[in-house]
Amino acid sequence: MKKFNIYIIALALISAVTTSCDPDYLELEPPNILLDNQVWNDTKLVTGVLSNYYDRLPSHTSLTGGWADFAAYDEAMWSGYSGNDGLNNIGSYGFNRWQIWDYGLIRDINLSINKLNTISTLPDNQKTQFLSELRFIRAYVYFEHVKRMGGIPIITEELIYDFSGDPSYLQNPRNTEAEVYDFIISEMEEIIPTIGNNGSNTRANRFTALAVISRSALYAGSLAKYNSAMSAPIQLPGNEVGIDGSRAQGYYTKSLSASKTILEEGGYSLYNSNPDLGENFYEAVINKNGNPEVIWAQDFLLSADKRHGFTYDNVARSAREDNLGSSAITPSLNLVEDYEYLDGSSGELKIRTPDDSDYIYYDEVSDIFEGKDARLYGTIIYPGATFRGQEIFMQAGVMVWNGNSYDRIESDGLATEYIDGGTLVAAGGPHRSIQEVSNTGFYLRKYVDNAVGASTRGIRSEVWWVRFRLGEIYLNAAEAALELGQTGEALGYINTLRERAGFGANSLSSLTMEDIMHERRVELAFEDHVVWDYKRWRVAHEKWSGSTTNPESMIYSLYPYRVVRPGDPRDGKFIFMKSVAPRFRAPRFFQLGNYYSEISQGVIDANPKIVRNPFH
Amino acid sequence: MKLKSINTYLILLIGLVAASCEFDNFEEPKSTLSGRIVYNDEPLGLRSNGVQLELWQRGYDLFQKIPVYVAQDGTFSAVIFDGDYQMTLIRGNGPWMDRTDSIPVQVRGSQMIDVEVQPYFVINNTSFDVNGNSISVTFTLENTNSGRNLEYASIYMGRTMLTDAVRNDGVFRVPMDQIVYGTPITVNVPIPGGLASRSDIFVRVGAKTAGVAELVYSQAQSKPL
Repeated sequence: MKKFNIYIIALALISAVTTSCDPDYLELEPPNILLDNQVWNDTKLVTGVLSNYYDRLPSHTSLTGGWADFAAYDEAMWSGYSGNDGLNNIGSYGFNRWQIWDYGLIRDINLSINKLNTISTLPDNQKTQFLSELRFIRAYVYFEHVKRMGGIPIITEELIYDFSGDPSYLQNPRNTEAEVYDFIISEMEEIIPTIGNNGSNTRANRFTALAVISRSALYAGSLAKYNSAMSAPIQLPGNEVGIDGSRAQGYYTKSLSASKTILEEGGYSLYNSNPDLGENFYEAVINKNGNPEVIWAQDFLLSADKRHGFTYDNVARSAREDNLGSSAITPSLNLVEDYEYLDGSSGELKIRTPDDSDYIYYDEVSDIFEGKDARLYGTIIYPGATFRGQEIFMQAGVMVWNGNSYDRIESDGLATEYIDGGTLVAAGGPHRSIQEVSNTGFYLRKYVDNAVGASTRGIRSEVWWVRFRLGEIYLNAAEAALELGQTGEALGYINTLRERAGFGANSLSSLTMEDIMHERRVELAFEDHVVWDYKRWRVAHEKWSGSTTNPESMIYSLYPYRVVRPGDPRDGKFIFMKSVAPRFRAPRFFQLGNYYSEISQGVIDANPKIVRNPFH
Repeated sequence: MKLKSINTYLILLIGLVAASCEFDNFEEPKSTLSGRIVYNDEPLGLRSNGVQLELWQRGYDLFQKIPVYVAQDGTFSAVIFDGDYQMTLIRGNGPWMDRTDSIPVQVRGSQMIDVEVQPYFVINNTSFDVNGNSISVTFTLENTNSGRNLEYASIYMGRTMLTDAVRNDGVFRVPMDQIVYGTPITVNVPIPGGLASRSDIFVRVGAKTAGVAELVYSQAQSKPL
């Protein structure tokens, strides 16, 4: 009986507690989650969503994502922390190297478009602007996919599972490569009238959309042309990979007209604020104050704690402000020699006398680079160049004359002194084996911040990542015009760009595809172009053939030495030695199966309609 | 004191138990699948690690291929579990016509298989002699009439068995006008400087089919210099 009483009391208590609750208890708004109708009816919150998507845009090499891979091709090698030396010993590029399958992001964008259409009560013109911007981002994400994977399924709506046990209606086959490029171009064309954001270079506007057309249509055109020109084109039976050669003309035309609209109506101009042409080219990329050249950038801001460590990792060793880091990405001699002399002669450095009997002796270590394309200074710190107002002196050792020949003397430390009281190895190297000092004899300048403190881990850098700038648009226009047979027009674009680098007016009088390839390489180095350019021209497997006898697959270094030859006029002068960079191990090897990256087995298992890429 | 000794004993016991634990409770695979890539019962010469065969096994949650790389002499081997597998040849991977049917492979203990392929070109009867600073190489290039063109044929010279289009110390491109299918071709090739001072030279002849990355090679041969 007593037990029974306890139960009664307990029951009564429970009923009292539950019934006395606020009747709305289960319908309270959560204090920590924003609901759909809050988000999609508030322009600030929608902008927040957009900013999240901008931040998630895929990139292969940028200042934050995958930056170390700048050292994985032929522009540079890795001279930083020795644990990353794998970048100098790749053997062959993996078939999944550029793999991407980011349908998570595509779904988020599709979901946002749907919510804006169904839930939002914002004014129509505001809604259209947001929708245009979302479609821009989605098309750009598709572009990032198609250049890596070939054709992929175009999904523009949410896929919702009905739990019927049969998911096959959600399994979409791959669209053709051409269809994806067409989708990107047509989406961009449709949103141009409504995207707004005029004058912004971090949010997409009309000219950003045109810039994406300029680049993607050029890619599609060259894929159509150069893939068909291969002895056995890379393609799949369903054209998921491989664009018909007859379409090249149309794509080039689209690309050229987009580029021309930007050049004529965009109000952009090449950056030309600094009379020092080398510094000017450096500033053209990193200057964030009223830069007229940058079309679209990923911005960083110190005060918002959005910053990156690119400068900490890559600043020249002798200019570093932190006690660690520095010197990770070091440009190769290959790239340095690609910069021509301003008189138009080949950029090969003059190390030995023409009859190869002796070294050429230079008074200053920087003299050998005199008269070069100003973009060399703006991209690369060479021995004796200045950075942050300080000379980056480099010397690998001394060459002591023994009566018949030179004895090369180096040291196992930096900033060491030779017995004659002069420098043995400079504080900035180069050095054969020490980590975090240049192994090639060069340091990176482009994107390395010259602001004080930027190379410390405490402050870091707020230099932006430029996705599109007018320099590229000039090159896109020149390439498309040349492919369309309008050589005169193409020459005009190229020569304008070269004039900014210090060449005279009309420095080129004829133009070939090799000139365009060369010009893109020197203008756009370290801006995430070389891989995609080599792929679309179908030259990657020849440039990076994996053979030690192919100089384009190897990374070369240039070491300066001081001559010790007392009593001789050559004493104290500098000579240079070229060799394969000591820390570089395996030639770059790009195989036919690398042109399109591998679709992971998990994706194919989940959706059997997905066909594999060639050679996988 | 008695308690202390019991404690010591317990600690030792725990230590013993822990040490004797079997860390991995799966048996490692013990069966060996080995074989050759053959044409007319002759193994084909290839680039080491250039060609990959795929082994697939259905019936498990994880459906991922087991890659099997082929050695330079056309042989391969893999240590796997007993079971029923399907072997597939990746399209366009090797210097032969696509073979789209998979090959059923039953592995029970050790298993040898020959994978028959139809190469675009075959190199037969290769021999070479050293004459001072040059070598004279004789080979027969067979066109199996599989519908692809020859891009080039080359002589590769190196210091190890692993001599091929990627790893070599000297290449000689055979002039196209000297190539006649089915009859012996002899070319004189200067020995590259990097090899001249060595005691041995390894030579292979390779034929490149247009549109196929991998070449077909003769088996590596060596002679003292």
